[in-house]
Amino acid sequence: MPSGPLRVGVIGFGKMGLLHASIASGLDVSRLIAIADPTTGVLDPLRRFKPDLSVYEDYERMLEKESLDAVFITSPTHLHASTALACVSAGLPFLVEKPLSARASDCEPLVAAVARTRLTNAVGYMARHADTFRKAKQIVDSGVLGRLVHLQATMYVSQLFGAGQGWRYDPAYSGGGVLITQNSHLIDLLLWLFGPIRRVNGHVKPYYSEKVDDFAHAIFEFRSGLSGYMDASWSVRHHRTLDLSISVHGHTGNLQVTEDDVRLYLDEAMGEYQSGWTIFRKPDLFEGVTIDVGGPEYTRQDEQFLNAVATGRPVESNVQSALQVQRVVEAVYESSASGRSVSLEPR
Amino acid sequence: MAMGTLDPIVLGHNSFFGVNHLSREQGRQRDAVFEDVTRIVDMMRTAASLDVAAMMMSTHPRAALVAAAVRRDPELRERWTFYPLLPYITKYIRQSNEKGLVNVVLDQLKQAGWSQGLGMVARSGLGFLTKDYRRILTTLIDLELAPFQSLRVGTVFLHDVLTDLALALDLPELLALHVEAVRNRFDARGGFATKNLPLLVDRLRRYGFERPAILAQVNKAGFGMNPSRSRCEQTLQRTDLEVMAMGTLASGYLRPVEAFEYVFAQPAVQSIVVSVSTPEHAAETFGAAQAAAARQRV
Repeated sequence: MPSGPLRVGVIGFGKMGLLHASIASGLDVSRLIAIADPTTGVLDPLRRFKPDLSVYEDYERMLEKESLDAVFITSPTHLHASTALACVSAGLPFLVEKPLSARASDCEPLVAAVARTRLTNAVGYMARHADTFRKAKQIVDSGVLGRLVHLQATMYVSQLFGAGQGWRYDPAYSGGGVLITQNSHLIDLLLWLFGPIRRVNGHVKPYYSEKVDDFAHAIFEFRSGLSGYMDASWSVRHHRTLDLSISVHGHTGNLQVTEDDVRLYLDEAMGEYQSGWTIFRKPDLFEGVTIDVGGPEYTRQDEQFLNAVATGRPVESNVQSALQVQRVVEAVYESSASGRSVSLEPR
Repeated sequence: MAMGTLDPIVLGHNSFFGVNHLSREQGRQRDAVFEDVTRIVDMMRTAASLDVAAMMMSTHPRAALVAAAVRRDPELRERWTFYPLLPYITKYIRQSNEKGLVNVVLDQLKQAGWSQGLGMVARSGLGFLTKDYRRILTTLIDLELAPFQSLRVGTVFLHDVLTDLALALDLPELLALHVEAVRNRFDARGGFATKNLPLLVDRLRRYGFERPAILAQVNKAGFGMNPSRSRCEQTLQRTDLEVMAMGTLASGYLRPVEAFEYVFAQPAVQSIVVSVSTPEHAAETFGAAQAAAARQRV
């Protein structure tokens, strides 16, 4: 167990690398030691402003040279699994950004290696740490909604209204379009809240993009008997920020959750909740964080990971749970291509 | 409340630009209403009739249209002071999700006529960005502030995402550069928006910034106050800083009278920024704020 602040390295220095590097640098539990990114010149500003920081173009060299306690992996999606596997070999706990890989098969060796070594690991599905979704999880787990029957879930953001540039729009690097990129947050939330999905009907459609989906729809049947649909797009108007919404109808009540609020309706009072509507708005649920850079959910996620590294406790959003997200994503693509439903139950 | 250089009541831009931190749905509805810039200008006239003639303005694309309308109107131009908040960060986050952070910066520079610089990227990578970082950052700040040219500018606040990044990474140079660029180009004061008030204030003192202007969430509900309301209240006891309070109503969660009493009772708070969406709403909100400010001044 390390003594003193954890020594942190970051692999990949784009927007998410900058964010995690900042949080790791701002928290008392950790110190930012090194950053690796192969893009020529991207680390020059750091060389200039942070002379104490070690920078590398080759992450393997960083892992070899630096004595680190934890690593954040924020490279493009297709590099996640192999990079994480290198961390496993080095015995280095890691948090890898979502989605875990471009294809589910790419992350299976990683999941197996992690299971063998029980290395502390986390995947950046940070929406679980947003106040409203944390509350929704409490309510669903309390059972007050009764048997869950019907689900509607949506994810929209106004982002892409023309051909996109870069690796995100090449499925070989990103795994696909909106479904796997931003909407993997929604699928992760659904699995976390409602358990495994057993059957998927999917339909995806490119419109602005040439090779990846801009619109995705799916009907999910959960093992619990819950079923319903999901709709996602990054090419809809009037959503200046990424908007997630989950609405579930249960035998004794219903629940709607967005980033703004949690709306619970119960036929009769149950447990700590009254009958009729109970609405939790963001100010009701707000809890301050040590340092907020880009949203409290990122701080909570990174603190949870770093504390897990310090104590050896497991993190809930890990490569195992993220593999389930990949499988659902692939089932949607497969179903869309074949025009048939896809089973996710073991044969 | 100490007397200072910030206007005590500043009209917020949130409802004009579709921002609502409590309800995105309501944000979208307001966005549709204020798509017509003449409605924003009408709201400014209402505010001026209530003795509020200062406005916060992010560098949202709509800001340029508002600024142009003000420039054309001698009465508005004469009377109003602007508090720009830059950059319009949502745009950059969306663009960087779309094409990556580096391309966002390069595209901005291209917009500013930096074809020479872009040629250098092709030849020698991004290294040139740091060699000439002062000029590049100044160019980016100029580009953002261009719409406010020839208008009266009070304090130019750096967006909290950038302030807090500089804070977390311990980069005083970036904060100093903002102050310097705004002073040199606009003869205005540079200030900082933050989500980490106590930490920023401690750090700015250590960095040697004198009497900084800070834009931060201050409200009785403690909403958005990191690491806690009580730690923020301790910082707000100090008189060697000037705070413009935002989120004072916790996005409509609190009633104006009690909300403003609380905010103006904090010694460091000189000013509040508050959004209004109708003339009735403006009269009620500004009336309550002016009463609370006056009581503290006595």
